[in-house]
Amino acid sequence: MPTLHPVVDELCAAVGNDAVISDPDQLLVYECDGFPIARGMPVAVVFPTSTEQVSACVKTLNRHKLQIVPRGSGTGLAGGAVAYETGVIIATSRMNQIEAIDLENRCAVVQPGVRNLALTDALAGTGLHYSPDPSSQRASSIGGNASTNAGGINTLKYGVTTNHLLGLEMVLPDGEILRTRAGARCEGLGADLPGLICGHEGTFGIITKIWCRLVPRPGHLRTVYAIFENNYGACKTVSDVIAGGIVPTSMEMMDAAMIKIIEGAFHVGFPEDAGAVLLIEIDGIDQILDEQLEQILALARANGARDVEGCSDPARRDQLWSARKKAFGAIGRVSHSYCTQDACVPRSMLPEVMEEVGRIADRHGIAVTNVFHAGDGNIHPILLFDEDDPKQVQQTLAASQEILEHCIDIGGTLTGEHGVGVEKLHLMHRMFTQETIHAFKTIKATFDPDLCINDAKKIPSDRTFVELVRPVAANVPGGAL
Amino acid sequence: MSSTSHPNVVGATCIDNPEMLSQLVRRCIQQDTPLVDYGRDHDQLGHPPPIPHARLTQTGDILEHHERDMTVRAAAGITIGRLQAVLGARNQFFPIDADDDLTLGEVINHNVYGPLRVGYGAARDLILGLRYVDGEGHQIHVGGRTVKNVAGYDLSRFMVGSFGEMGIVYEATIRTYAIPQIVGATCFTIDDLSALDGQMTTWLKTDAAPTWLAASVQHGKARVNTGYFGRAKACGVQRAALHALVDGLDAASMDMSCDQDFAADIGWRHTWRQWRRSATLLCKLIVPPASTGTACQRLRAWTDDGNGRRLDAMPIHGCIFVGTDEADADVDSLDACVNDLVESLDALRQWHRRPPNAPTVPPFAPPQPDWPMLQRLKTAMDPHGLFNPGRMLETLRETS
Repeated sequence: MPTLHPVVDELCAAVGNDAVISDPDQLLVYECDGFPIARGMPVAVVFPTSTEQVSACVKTLNRHKLQIVPRGSGTGLAGGAVAYETGVIIATSRMNQIEAIDLENRCAVVQPGVRNLALTDALAGTGLHYSPDPSSQRASSIGGNASTNAGGINTLKYGVTTNHLLGLEMVLPDGEILRTRAGARCEGLGADLPGLICGHEGTFGIITKIWCRLVPRPGHLRTVYAIFENNYGACKTVSDVIAGGIVPTSMEMMDAAMIKIIEGAFHVGFPEDAGAVLLIEIDGIDQILDEQLEQILALARANGARDVEGCSDPARRDQLWSARKKAFGAIGRVSHSYCTQDACVPRSMLPEVMEEVGRIADRHGIAVTNVFHAGDGNIHPILLFDEDDPKQVQQTLAASQEILEHCIDIGGTLTGEHGVGVEKLHLMHRMFTQETIHAFKTIKATFDPDLCINDAKKIPSDRTFVELVRPVAANVPGGAL
Repeated sequence: MSSTSHPNVVGATCIDNPEMLSQLVRRCIQQDTPLVDYGRDHDQLGHPPPIPHARLTQTGDILEHHERDMTVRAAAGITIGRLQAVLGARNQFFPIDADDDLTLGEVINHNVYGPLRVGYGAARDLILGLRYVDGEGHQIHVGGRTVKNVAGYDLSRFMVGSFGEMGIVYEATIRTYAIPQIVGATCFTIDDLSALDGQMTTWLKTDAAPTWLAASVQHGKARVNTGYFGRAKACGVQRAALHALVDGLDAASMDMSCDQDFAADIGWRHTWRQWRRSATLLCKLIVPPASTGTACQRLRAWTDDGNGRRLDAMPIHGCIFVGTDEADADVDSLDACVNDLVESLDALRQWHRRPPNAPTVPPFAPPQPDWPMLQRLKTAMDPHGLFNPGRMLETLRETS
């Protein structure tokens, strides 16, 4: 019988016996997040239901000098919620109340465990919604979204989580409760503290309340579907549309390999000899959308589109977007495992980057396919491999590294939306100067002088070195190796 | 307006490159001399700088314009006028309402924005990356060139509205947008601005949702102006939609509805805010957006009582400027109105300008719960207390 850590009793006293997991079999569920290569067994997982309980738990863990690991829904794709070095996970999933909705001020107050889509669902019929729409939105929590500054398909026009954050409440690593700009006001007095905290990946504290900005739901929509012979024409169309003054809500591309994969699985009608598929969506005033639609179609044709289609029919729209959303699900038919990378590059460099991604994959003997948010320049190369073949695993790791290095070297970033977590810590020194890394550590130390919360995540640590477990594959998005 | 309101300057330095800036900071550390830059139009905002201090100004230009990506990297010392002129030659613009003589750095440090925030956001939504010099003279690069970026901490956004207290921004990468083909402009008068309080959310859900919206009160009259960016057909539809909504308001009537070109639109908003540059008394209030009209109506008790008194508001974001260019402005009564709003409407207050003989009141009110954390970050980022020391965070000493 494993000996329970003495902290378990104190945590039970703080939150109740039914809010603490310490049984090793149950803890297995929490040994990783959506990035299964990073694994660590927590000492316990605790589920507070209030800010005060979070504070009590943090103080308890401080007394026992245990690492605090915040976790939302566990859908993160970079290992940010993994418990290393005798960590205890504080999971906010039971803090799932929408505390207030203020339609006149366009603001909602939510606990961190509220699922992203749940807030928009709660606003049904009001004409407003919560705009950030990561693909995990059915499961991911708003607290987790704020912690990672989550994006999504509609970020081109409507921004990412930080653009929809009015204020935050957070429990600091010493248990103190911090409030920033709480309320419906659209600015505060002084530096933008919510802006700094958004995207901190749980390294400053545990977010316990979020003031969310609500915006009108998109009304009328039009969807464009264009087939190209190659990536270049599709990418140029993306730039031309935006330069022409249209800001679509979304622009998604799939390359030749992905088209074949989707068509093979779902038979949606994509031509299997196509070089690229571009899906564009625009919203706005109904009387104007057809004019914009024609403008986009003309640009696509001018850039060599073989076939173009514009539609307003909701059923056809759903069919087209269903193909995009099923992309990852289709991969399982053709590959034992896959690894998705996340980088962002200047939009104008997309054609060059796509070619280089292909060359890198070829050099390492790994098949690659691409589906990405073309309007943002946010690429997701998907490397296909067999997890039972150690050589392929090594090749995939090496190819991933080279792809990210290339994206950094041409002026992009090593992560557009998934976060650094532990997955990309080793690339932070390539992305940032020594002085900047030191500045990040200074900021971190201001919130967490004892490095007791999520140490060695997001930024390199002087105290803790994380060595990722060598590949054990699982077929999930986000770098499952 | 030049920074003549701060005496006891031991030296003034104009910087146009980051190496010089780093060296200057290191010299100031050695000499224990604070480095002050309050900007051209915000020189009276906050507590006065310590005596003595060195004054910093920056100059600069565009460093890289990535036309196809619609991003530009520019020195913080570039003037908005120069920036817009260069972008305009490529049919692009930086969608922040700021006067031509302000620098990009001043816009960032003071979170300068105007009615265009409705359609394009504020500086925090338009900044992709920043470079700044920290309190040890090191050059820090955060963010980058891409529209999405979650690598490292978001110090780019943190610097917006920091009043220059956390570091000296010397470069910024910002998003640009295409200049619209036409602007649909409207103006309507309304007796009671509080009638708008319950309307904004409704308007934003309709075709009448504007690209920008501004209210003003002057000479006893309240007006609301809107702008719609786009093509002629779209603007016509939107203006008509707004007209129908205004017709449904009590005691409101549409005075003007037409298309105009982009330059005229920019010019209108420039004229709209110009009175603030010469105001002897100027206060900025931030209220919950749905209380803007109510706040404006209460302030009218003061504005309607003097010829030179004026009020501008951006109801969708709850921002109000109130003040006057009167030489002998009635400070006490405005103080009383403003403090009443701070208490009753949960407003925030910034005194941008007050007459020299006015009783001293905290320039920022009320004290905010996150100020202690901001103070800790200030101490960490500026350990020698060089950058605009005591400008805002000084307030902590009064409240602790």
